[in-house]
Amino acid sequence: MAANFWNSSHYKQLFDQEEVDVVHPLDKDKGITLEDFKLIKMHMVIPICKLAQQVKVRQRVVATAVTYMRRLYTRKSMSEYDPRLVAPTCLYLASKAEESTVQARLLVYCIKKMYSDDKYRYEIKDILEMEMKILEALNYYLVVFHPYRSLPQFLQDAGMNDISMTQLTWGLVNDTYRMDLILIHPPHLIALACIYTASVYREKDKTAWFEELRVDMNVVKNIAMEILDFYESHRLITDERINAAFNKLKP
Amino acid sequence: MGDGNNRSSSNSEKPEWLQQYNLIGKIGEGTYGLVFLAKTKSTANRGKSIAIKKFKQSKDGDGVSPTAIREIMLLREITHENVVKLVNVHINHTDMSLYLAFDYAEHDLYEIIRHHRDKGNNLINQYTLWVRERNMGLSKLLIFGLARIYQAPLKALSDNGVVVTIWYRAPELLLGAKHYTSAIDMWAVGCIFAELLTLKPLFQGAEAKSTPNPFQLDQLDKIFKVLGHPTLEKWPTLASLPHWHNDVEHIQGHKYENTGLHSVVPLPPKGAPFDLLSKMLEYDPQKRITAAKALEHDYFRSEPLPGRNALVPSHPGEKVINYPTRPVDTNTGFEGTTSLQPPQPVSSGNAVSGGIPGAHGVNSRSAPRPMAMGMQRMQTQGMAAYNLASQAGMGGGMNPGNIPMPRGVAQPHQQHHLRRKDPPGAGTGYPPQQKPRR
Repeated sequence: MAANFWNSSHYKQLFDQEEVDVVHPLDKDKGITLEDFKLIKMHMVIPICKLAQQVKVRQRVVATAVTYMRRLYTRKSMSEYDPRLVAPTCLYLASKAEESTVQARLLVYCIKKMYSDDKYRYEIKDILEMEMKILEALNYYLVVFHPYRSLPQFLQDAGMNDISMTQLTWGLVNDTYRMDLILIHPPHLIALACIYTASVYREKDKTAWFEELRVDMNVVKNIAMEILDFYESHRLITDERINAAFNKLKP
Repeated sequence: MGDGNNRSSSNSEKPEWLQQYNLIGKIGEGTYGLVFLAKTKSTANRGKSIAIKKFKQSKDGDGVSPTAIREIMLLREITHENVVKLVNVHINHTDMSLYLAFDYAEHDLYEIIRHHRDKGNNLINQYTLWVRERNMGLSKLLIFGLARIYQAPLKALSDNGVVVTIWYRAPELLLGAKHYTSAIDMWAVGCIFAELLTLKPLFQGAEAKSTPNPFQLDQLDKIFKVLGHPTLEKWPTLASLPHWHNDVEHIQGHKYENTGLHSVVPLPPKGAPFDLLSKMLEYDPQKRITAAKALEHDYFRSEPLPGRNALVPSHPGEKVINYPTRPVDTNTGFEGTTSLQPPQPVSSGNAVSGGIPGAHGVNSRSAPRPMAMGMQRMQTQGMAAYNLASQAGMGGGMNPGNIPMPRGVAQPHQQHHLRRKDPPGAGTGYPPQQKPRR
C-alpha cells in the first residue's frame, strides 16, 4: 500500500539529477538553456504559493502541485505546456488529490485578481483541459510523499522541536520546492538535510544524533549543500533574468 | 496507461482506445456514471473480461471528479491479488469523460448476500455457508469507499463531500473524530463480517441529511442498541470526542438494557468467530483489533481453513456455490444510450420473461437470463460447456468471463433490470433501488 513510501510509485519513480536536467528539444529550439529551464520552474513556485494563499489551501497542497509541475517537465515541453497555465492547474489537481478541492471558478477569479497581465488570462475551460493533459502526462501517478511528514518526528527525536527550530526547518523544507530535490531524493532525506542545514546555521552540534541515524550522511550533506547553493545563487537572480527566460518561450 | 493517441476520437462513436475491447453491455450505473462489461481483443489476452467504469463529465464545470482522482490515485499504488486491478485509464478530451478499465470481478458481496437471503437460508445454513465463504473475507473483499491513503487528511473526513453509507462508519467518526485511522476500516470489516452472517446490515441507521455534515444520531443509536453505551472506563478517549459533549441529552441520555452482540448474530458466544467479530467491533479504536492481529486470530486457524478464493474450488471435488453471474444490459453503449438495440418496455418486478429459448431456471437476480448466459461457474462446468466466441487465452483466472455473447448478437429478450431490487415485503432492510456499491 501506498501508506509506505518504499512501496509507492513515488519511490519507484525517483529520478537521477541528469534525467531531470534535460531541456525538451522543443524548448531547446527556442533557445531555452538548462539555466532558463531551472529558473522558470523555480519562478513558477511563486504564483502557486500566492494562489494557494488566496484560495486557502495548505502548504502540502502547494508542495504536491509543485511536484506535479516538476514531474510534468521531465516529460513535456514548456512550449506545449505553458508554465503559466500549468502552475495553477497543478494546484487545482493537487487540491483534489490532497482532498482540499478548490473550484476552478475560484482559481480563475483569483488569477485574474492577481495578474493584470494578459499572459495569465486563462478561463475555466483552459484549466480543465490542462488538467486532463497533466493527468495523462503524469500517467495518473498522483501520490506524493513530502518531507513535512517526517520533519516533526525527527525534530522531536533530535530534541530540537522548539518553535524557532520548527519554523526554521519548515521554512527550509518549503524552499526545497524551488529546486528539483523532491524528484530526486526520498523525502525523509530532504527533511534531514533541512534539519542539518538548520543545525549548522544555528550552531547546534547534532553530529552524534545524525550519526546514530541509519542514513547515508553523504547524501544528506549533499542535499544540504544544494540547499545552501540555492540560497547563495538565488540572491543574484534578477527579474530581468527571469523575464528573459520567459520571453524565449514566446511563440 | 494513457496511450496518448486520444485526440482523434471525436469523429467516431467509439474512442480509439476502446476499440481494443469488445463491448458486451452495461453492468452498473450510479451517480458517478456507468459501468460496462467488455472483452479484450488483443491476441495476448483475448476474451479477457474487463469492467469499464465511465465517469460522467462533471456538470458543475469542475473537471475530473475528486472521487475519480482519489480512486485512480489509490489504485495506481496498489498491486495486490485481492484488490481489483486497474488496467487502463483513459480520458476522452472531447466530452471530458474519464474511463477506468479494471479486471472484471464477476461477483460482489452485495450480490452474494442477496443470493443467500433470497434463497431463504435459515440461520444454521447461513452459518455453514459463512464458514465456507469466509475465505472470501480474505480474498476479494474490497472496502474501497473508505480507503484512504494518508494518515492525515488535510480536511476532516466529513468535509470533503465523499459520500459513503453511514452503516459501516465507526463510532469515533460518528462522534466527531477528525482523523482517519485503520481502526476505522476494521470497524467496517466487522460490520461486513456480521452482515455476511445475518444477511442484513448490522447497524442500519437512517442517514441525517439536513446539513452538509450532520450529526448521525440514529446511526449511533443503532450501534448503542446492540453494543450498549460506551463508557469512559472502557473507552477513555471518548471524552475528547466533540459530539459526546455536544449532544449529551441524546447520546448519553437514554440507555439500552439487555444489549449484546450475541443477540443479533447467530454465533456461539464462546467460539472463535464471535470472539473475532466482537474484537472488530470494540468501541475504543485503540483497543480494536488490527488487521494484522485479526489475520492471526484463531478463527483463521481453525477448520475449515481459509482458501485463496472461495469462488474457486481449492481441490477437485470441492463444492463451491454457484452464484449467479452479473446481469448485462446489452442494449447500452458507451455513450450511455441504448445504441445497440431499440429500447424495449420495462416490465415491473422480477418477472421472468417467458418464451426465452432455453431458459429453464429462475435466476435469483432481478434480471432474467437465459441459461446460455452461463449460470454455472466455469470451474464446475468445465471449459467445454462454453460456446465461447473466443478460443484463446481464457486462462483459469478469477473471472473466466462466462458470458459467451459476442458483441452485437441480439439477445432474445431485454434485460432492463440491472438495478438490484428486493422483492416487495422481503423485509431485508436494503432500500430498493440502491446504488450499486462499487
